[in-house]
Amino acid sequence: MTRLMRFVEPMIGIVVVVLLWGLVARVAANATLVPSPTVVWQAFVTMLDGDLPRDILASLAHLGVGYGLGVATGLALALAAGSSRWVEAVLDPLAEFLRPISPIAWIPIAILMFGVGRLVPIYLIFYASLFPIFVSTLDGIRHVDRNLVNAALSLGASRRTVLLHVIVPAVLPSIVAGARLSLGVAWMSLVAGEIVGGDSGIGWRILWYQEFFQMDRVMAAILIVGAMGLAADALLRLAQRALRRVNPSLASGA
Amino acid sequence: MTIALAPPLPVRTRLVVPLVVIAATMVLWEIAVRATRTQGLVPLPSGIGASGLVLTTSGVIFEAMAGSLKRVAIGFAIGAAIGIPMGLAVGTLRPLERSLRPVLDSLRSIAPIAWIPMAILWLGVRGNAALFVVSYAATFPFIVSASQAVRMVDRRLVDAARALGASPWTVLRAVLMPSTLPMLFTGARIALAFAWGSIIAAELAIGIKIAGQGRNVAGIGQLMVETLYVKRDVDALVFYMLAIGVVSLAIDAGLRHLQRRLLPWDRR
Repeated sequence: MTRLMRFVEPMIGIVVVVLLWGLVARVAANATLVPSPTVVWQAFVTMLDGDLPRDILASLAHLGVGYGLGVATGLALALAAGSSRWVEAVLDPLAEFLRPISPIAWIPIAILMFGVGRLVPIYLIFYASLFPIFVSTLDGIRHVDRNLVNAALSLGASRRTVLLHVIVPAVLPSIVAGARLSLGVAWMSLVAGEIVGGDSGIGWRILWYQEFFQMDRVMAAILIVGAMGLAADALLRLAQRALRRVNPSLASGA
Repeated sequence: MTIALAPPLPVRTRLVVPLVVIAATMVLWEIAVRATRTQGLVPLPSGIGASGLVLTTSGVIFEAMAGSLKRVAIGFAIGAAIGIPMGLAVGTLRPLERSLRPVLDSLRSIAPIAWIPMAILWLGVRGNAALFVVSYAATFPFIVSASQAVRMVDRRLVDAARALGASPWTVLRAVLMPSTLPMLFTGARIALAFAWGSIIAAELAIGIKIAGQGRNVAGIGQLMVETLYVKRDVDALVFYMLAIGVVSLAIDAGLRHLQRRLLPWDRR
């Protein structure tokens, strides 16, 4: 097991899949039905010069606004529910009631309310990212070690100190774990929202290319969706790891 | 941030408070919508109830749900048939895992619904395209849970059983299955939840594609598209949405129950 192998091994799968794909494309001999890897790559290169940057930016804008609002709201609600048993008594059942309703089921209503446009994916992302972070943060608050809180209080710590130095560090891993879960669902909702009810973004562009039967571009856009999802998750995983490095005792919660 | 300190509210309060709040919200909502005369644009609580009554008594919603659920069941089975063997292989053979990981991660990051144009091209709009999307969605939770389940098997237990003269069959039945099944079952629950979300997305996307050219109301998603663009009935849409939520809850509750019944040794 040399360093070379460690570099080569992850490549094997990709190479095999691309070769298989090329083989199928050659057998099918139909660039519309099965666009070959080279054709898709060429489509990608031309898209890069054209609409692609704008589509990606539009999707990122949807994601940024919807996810930002969703995470902020979910976090605020969880903190409110964590501060008061009364707020918790109202919010918790409401969240349990709404949570099983998948964001997808909201699409037609969102289209009716907002019309086809950017508000549909933004609303869906907002709704999708709300619950994982809410549930995870509230769960974290509930599981803060009472002994630690009591110990800090009896040693004369102020509420502020307890909040900042005991509760927040204890809850942080739950928040980050919730944020990562939220991002996963948000990404799926973004694509669905753009495909069904959007007028911009990479998901919408997939259907746009389909209208013109440019399946090579459709395929390229699908792969870009995957790459963007992968990049988003990698980013949050890095954040999680950075957090662990700052405070190794945080590792367990996430 | 007093929750770590405050005593929990009495059970009765915890039950009554949300009910009161929800009831009050509904009444205020109804009044607000009627006062602003925005019926038809904004859902009306009484309207949701009324259309719910019509849709359930006429059986429309059950027919559509049955169509969607049938595809979910088939897609779930396909996902299991592909995902479990793949996950077991990837979990057992380390080099295979290292070389397949990037491919699997990339494929998993593609939202299943993004495949809809290719699926329509390959399989047609009449249901099979949706089936492709559902199977795709269900496959990855199975791969992930099966590979994790294999890795969590305690080698010492296997070795101990072998050393005590257990046949391979006994090792499988007495050691491997009890330790992998709980994880697999959890994966199955995630897969089913994914599948249910994806079938609706797929049917919505397909429904919008074929709206207007001879309808094919085969699933709850297509029904919603028809309600949206043909009938423009916002109350019915909300009712469908709630029904989708109820089905998700029922599926998960059923699977949890099954998990406890079938795998009593697993206390999760």
